[in-house]
Amino acid sequence: MKFCIEHLIKSYEKKQVLKDIDYAFEDGKIYGLLGRNGAGKTTLFNCLNGDIRYDSGKIYLEEEQQTRNVLPEDIGYVLSTPTVPEFMTGREFLKFFLDIHEDSIVEPKTIDEYFEYMGIETEDRDRLLKNYSHGMKNKMQMLVNIISKPNVLLLDEPLTSLDVVVAEEMKQLLRNLKEGRVIIVSTHIMDLALDLCDEIVLLSHGELERVDKEELDNREFKEKIIAALREDGND
Amino acid sequence: MIKTLRLSFALKNTYRVNSILYSIKQIPLLKRIIPEGVYHIRGFKLFANVLSVIWEILTVFLGKLLYFLLMIVGAASLYSLPAESQGQVFLHLLLVLTLIGAVMNTYMFNPTKDKYYAMILLGMNAREYALTNYFYAIGKVLVGFLLCSFLFGKGAGLTWWQCLLIPFFVAGAKLMVAAAELRDYEKNGNVGNENKLNKLIWWIIAVFLAVAYGLPALGILLPVKVSVTAMCFFVAGGLISVKKVIAFRDYRAMYQELLAGSMMQMDPSAQAKLQREASNKLISADTDIASSKKGFEYLNELFIKRHQKILWKSTKKITYVSMAVIAAVLLGFVLMPELKEGVNGVLLLYLPYFVFVMYMINRGTGFTRALFVNCDHSLLTYPFYKQPKFILKLFKIRLREIIKVNLLPASVIGAGLSLLLYASGGTDNPWNYIVLFVSIAALSVFFSVHYLTIYYLLQPYNAGTEIKSGTYQLIMWLTYMVCYMMIRIKMSTVVFGIMTIVFCLLYSVIACALVYKFAPRTFKIRT
Repeated sequence: MKFCIEHLIKSYEKKQVLKDIDYAFEDGKIYGLLGRNGAGKTTLFNCLNGDIRYDSGKIYLEEEQQTRNVLPEDIGYVLSTPTVPEFMTGREFLKFFLDIHEDSIVEPKTIDEYFEYMGIETEDRDRLLKNYSHGMKNKMQMLVNIISKPNVLLLDEPLTSLDVVVAEEMKQLLRNLKEGRVIIVSTHIMDLALDLCDEIVLLSHGELERVDKEELDNREFKEKIIAALREDGND
Repeated sequence: MIKTLRLSFALKNTYRVNSILYSIKQIPLLKRIIPEGVYHIRGFKLFANVLSVIWEILTVFLGKLLYFLLMIVGAASLYSLPAESQGQVFLHLLLVLTLIGAVMNTYMFNPTKDKYYAMILLGMNAREYALTNYFYAIGKVLVGFLLCSFLFGKGAGLTWWQCLLIPFFVAGAKLMVAAAELRDYEKNGNVGNENKLNKLIWWIIAVFLAVAYGLPALGILLPVKVSVTAMCFFVAGGLISVKKVIAFRDYRAMYQELLAGSMMQMDPSAQAKLQREASNKLISADTDIASSKKGFEYLNELFIKRHQKILWKSTKKITYVSMAVIAAVLLGFVLMPELKEGVNGVLLLYLPYFVFVMYMINRGTGFTRALFVNCDHSLLTYPFYKQPKFILKLFKIRLREIIKVNLLPASVIGAGLSLLLYASGGTDNPWNYIVLFVSIAALSVFFSVHYLTIYYLLQPYNAGTEIKSGTYQLIMWLTYMVCYMMIRIKMSTVVFGIMTIVFCLLYSVIACALVYKFAPRTFKIRT
């Protein structure tokens, strides 16, 4: 499967934020999306997720030489600040989610099995989500995004505000999840990108550009990326 | 000194100009015409600058004119006092109100944005800034009050030197309060904040208000001599206080403390966070709440049950109060039969008034706000939630719920009004009974549909739960204005009632059609 973006353009009044996004993401890989502040990473994610309309271009999925439009359920979007319905308990939210996706979830597990899988303790499962910690909310958000098994998983600045243990758990989880889907992670943190991602893609000048690792070691690769990003700031 | 004044003017002007331009950009239609770069387009800037200067000049006079017109001369005219006491009541009111004003309107202890920007953010010399601007403000008081005291005081029969004394008295009182608060800060470390007065002060203000407006009603007025002596005392006190205000050294530290609390208020996202926390508090922590339903009905039932406080509990309270009022009027009919005729007339002519009543008791805005902040704000980030079929399904469920919530008090009020009409002597046209009941119910349905529809069609909130839609605010304001205007309309109940019913029906049908057509596109988080 391929997740393809063709000549996507998005401007705000006169300012063209996304000039010509043209890229094909392949399944089974985690992509690290790097870009400077204001480069348009969030705008790009919002376009892909259907939150804002783009001016022109095409987004589609290619499966076995067949192309089709992207449907809302193809995309999972995990925001940097986790958002969960505060008035429900963890269990209620999960039940609601499973109810809605009754027909589409293949081999559903029980609610407690899902909690187990995410490492959410028994005593927390029946608490209101408004009382969850940041890390736990993040896990819940991740969990529902995983259950529906979207073809494309977008993560905006993940892991940045998680404690080291949870962050490590999440990283492992993402690695386990990449089989059969495209995962795109936007981040500021170079080390995270290098550690977690299979490919680095730069968003600069409103375009996406792959950075080849070639034969470089990590340090040289970093320098190459920074040089490329720095160029973006000079115009 | 001059430089500080010039700088603080420039600063105040800059953000005033930018706020004017920003507000203009929020107006729905203009928004499209005005370019993003409006902040550096000369023409716009000049226009906003002119407005800003006009505003500065108006602040010298406008508030004071209104104050004299409403609170002194206007209030004085309400007492039936002989013409020769006009001057006496004028001084009586002015004296007592000025003392309240000296505490509530100090300028110095008002944590405003310009002070924050200048002293904290830009690091201007705090003492110099504070003093320059304080004396500028006192200067404005002198000029504004001088004009007003001659304008209104002469009319009330004061002598010219009494009129001349007034501005200096007002400034003196303000200075004395400022000096006292500065001393309190030095001694006890208390920072005065005129927007956060303590309970004791509020009680004193209440007593002073009673003295100001209550005593004249009983025919008691401060003798002119007493008033004038007191005013002279404050002028002298003010002069002495100038020394303290100038000698005070710790403006920087004091303002740091005063402004720290209000920095939160200036940051819209911090404020949104506070509101979010407030909304979170509305969620009931009752662990017995559960639902046996499924899917969206499950979501909805949990939401309604956990938001009892703003939905059913509050609507029940309104219902009980309505019942009590109706019962009280019925009791009134028994005790004072002459009441009947008046009430009968009201019920047959003043139905429009109840549009406003229904507007006031409707739970629609609280409901949609809680819907967004506690529910949609998070769920709208999940793709499944945005599928058109689910958006519409949930809209239907929510509409049903909010109609139920609002219909309870509406049916009690509607039935109550019909009952009162009957008990007050009835009417020749029996349609009146039906129309009263149905139109009140229709109004309640209308408001339910109205708020939910504009919420779905405009979804005004962004991810930080700030309202980002000028159109939404405009519609809210218009709704209020239209309902408020209804108070003044007098029309036969049958005619107005039938018009209302037809309007509400049509509106509801059209609104729902619009939601079905557009909500799948419009119902999303604003960016």
